[in-house]
Amino acid sequence: MPERFHNLYIEQLCEVMSEDIDELACKEIIEYLNSCPTCKVYYDTVKKTVHLCRERNVEVEIPEEVNIRLLKVLKIEGYCE
Amino acid sequence: MDEKILVERAKGGDKAAFAQLVNTYSDRIYNLALRILRKKEDAEDILQETFLTVLEKINTFDGRSSFFTWIYRIATNASLMRLRKKKIVFQELSDHSDFQESVESRVFIDWSQDPAANVYTSEVKNKIDDAINKLPDIYRSVFILRDIESLSIKETSAILNITDENVKIRLRRARQFLRDHLSDYFDERIVGNNA
Repeated sequence: MPERFHNLYIEQLCEVMSEDIDELACKEIIEYLNSCPTCKVYYDTVKKTVHLCRERNVEVEIPEEVNIRLLKVLKIEGYCE
Repeated sequence: MDEKILVERAKGGDKAAFAQLVNTYSDRIYNLALRILRKKEDAEDILQETFLTVLEKINTFDGRSSFFTWIYRIATNASLMRLRKKKIVFQELSDHSDFQESVESRVFIDWSQDPAANVYTSEVKNKIDDAINKLPDIYRSVFILRDIESLSIKETSAILNITDENVKIRLRRARQFLRDHLSDYFDERIVGNNA
């Protein structure tokens, strides 16, 4: 695959990953990906990057003392269950 | 109770209604701030600041956007202001600057299947944190909202007051920045193991 073609797909690769692209275009990009090892590696490593960042940023509960301080600052301690 | 009714009641000074809004959004706002600022103390400050702003300005909320978009905009702006004050923002790049997006002449190593990328050692965690910390703020906010918080492009653009197209550009650059940063680490590992 000539190198200059890779860049044409960078934008679409990003949209495929986020499912921000219509089904037909998505299918075309996936076919292209399977024919271009360079873009496939790029796509897989970006996807893995996003996955790693998500796992590192899992939702946490507000610590109890933080919540208590918040309600106090807002003067609504008596209004919360 | 319907959120619109809660907001109207809170506007009228109903503390129970306001408390219910706090209860609904406090976890999400805390997590959003923590993800942008990476420090618990800062996340707590932003949490308090956000709800104090809501309390002060709820009468200016006109319902043109959803309450969720409005409160997320307040929290995101406060978090980004804090980032700038702490001067942990690296180079602020415009959407049209010479960000290297080209894959031409670049050799990619596939580290996505590297076992180390599936085990969260403290070293890998540090690399991820380091990469996010180095992500310029205009890209960080989009990445956090879109890829971590899983908001839609429409929601992200409404919160950041930018176009959908800018969300897509910034998201693409954010992902590439993070990928390149993590690749430095994983590529070196793979090359080292094969030497």
